[in-house]
Amino acid sequence: MEQTLIAEAKDAPRAADLAFDRLYRSSRDDVYAYVASLLRDTPAAEEVTATAFERAYRKRHRFDPERGEPRAWLFGIARNAALDELRRRGRQAELTAEPADLDNAGLDEGAVHSERRLAVSAALERLEPGERELIALKFFAGLDNREIAGVLGIGESNAGTKLHRAMTKLREACNGDA
Amino acid sequence: METPRDDRLAEDLRALRATPRPEFAAELDERAAAGFPRRSGLPRFSLERLRAIPPRRLLIPAGGVAMLAIALVTAVVAINGTENRDLGVTASPGAAQESKPPLTFGKAVPVKPETAGAESAAAPSNGMETEASSAAGAANLNFDSSGGYTRGSAPVRNRAVERSATLVLGAAPADVADDSAEIFEVVRAHDGIVMRSSTREGEPGRAGARFALLIPSAKLGDALADLSAIDEVRSRHEATADITAPTVNVNEQLQDSNARIDSLLGQLEASETESEREAVEAELTQERRHRALLRSQLQHLQRRADYSRVLVQIETGAAEESTDSGGAWGVGDALDDAGQILAVAAAVTVVALAILGPIVLIALLAWLTHRAWVRRERRRVLS
Repeated sequence: MEQTLIAEAKDAPRAADLAFDRLYRSSRDDVYAYVASLLRDTPAAEEVTATAFERAYRKRHRFDPERGEPRAWLFGIARNAALDELRRRGRQAELTAEPADLDNAGLDEGAVHSERRLAVSAALERLEPGERELIALKFFAGLDNREIAGVLGIGESNAGTKLHRAMTKLREACNGDA
Repeated sequence: METPRDDRLAEDLRALRATPRPEFAAELDERAAAGFPRRSGLPRFSLERLRAIPPRRLLIPAGGVAMLAIALVTAVVAINGTENRDLGVTASPGAAQESKPPLTFGKAVPVKPETAGAESAAAPSNGMETEASSAAGAANLNFDSSGGYTRGSAPVRNRAVERSATLVLGAAPADVADDSAEIFEVVRAHDGIVMRSSTREGEPGRAGARFALLIPSAKLGDALADLSAIDEVRSRHEATADITAPTVNVNEQLQDSNARIDSLLGQLEASETESEREAVEAELTQERRHRALLRSQLQHLQRRADYSRVLVQIETGAAEESTDSGGAWGVGDALDDAGQILAVAAAVTVVALAILGPIVLIALLAWLTHRAWVRRERRRVLS
């Protein structure tokens, strides 16, 4: 669908605005979820999410659909903004399924109290940062393997392989906790 | 293909997904509808970020700025240096006043500092062309048209320099005789020699005169100023040639020859047999001829340095179109002017590229370095 939207975007500035609006509406919550998983800080996640959309909006005419998916392009911008924020703070990126500062209102009540999901959250903490990011892109941002490959700048098969390994480690970690 | 356990794990992961606060989502929607206007707090946010940067991280941009400043200063200094050097080549009176009298081989050639100014005042600006050339290379010139030191890092002492000049005067046919008489008077006043002269009377364009003069080099500037004052100067050309090398060479050969003759005279005194004496005398005779030849060459070179050749020509009628003193401005002149303008534009472009090139290169390198550093830091954040 996004391909069609971006194809319109090449036709006229107005079409680009409409295409970006659709991209924004389809990706707003996903971008926030991904950024929040990286930053673990609600105010910072909101700030970076807004910054990422602003940057993407200003660069919308420079997007080339031949170079990748629009969602991959958007999440690449969000990733850079989040990493810059982490870099600025001098903090290590720590992905977690349950960020300590995030508003509990944003989380599913059942997940918070579920023992199984707590085990998944703990298992996520033990993964490598890169592996946690892969899982965040897949399950928090809802990207497919091709889009993940576009965000990380790697091949699609490579992204699939890495994601499979990360899921295997996560499953083993969950079983270890159990 | 996902197994039921994978499905459950995926479901658990998706359940852990954070969602934005409704207030934030509504605010972001409003800004999206407004086309993401820049936030007023953004500059303050950037300032805070700038303050938060550790000083060591400012070293690279500070270094880049410093290098840029150095490049700019160097370029400005280089341009000023070029302009000053150019001024020296065009024989500015100021440069001449600061110069010291140049020296020829074994003999000083006094040049009055005010000569250049006098020449400039005496000679009309139109048609006057002053150049300096040197057999030893233009970069090593030590004298300009007025006899002052112009190029080179420092004045070179004991140089033998041959100077020459060509002066074309424009006159009415009726004035040719008077102008010729004044030329003789100027030559006499400056202790010069008229080598050849010819005068022709007739219609404008046909009437005229030519003079081949030898003027003492020490008085060349004054003499040219006086000659230029006789009538309208249509063109003037001066040249210098460094003859130090041949002069030194001949002088050294002469010294060697003297030493050789002294040695032969000693051998002649010590000779005991007639045949031995005859052989030494023959060799002595040959060496004395060689010495005489060398002396002649040295005197000739010294004469070339002491006296400057000056060719004065009096023309009547309209000046040639190739000169700038008269003639209608035509297509040829337009092409010449266009060529000069293009040459100047090309020179300016080259200078601009020479200045901008390093600056752009430094900026490009700084940008690439910064980009690589940012990428490395982003990777490091996740490692």
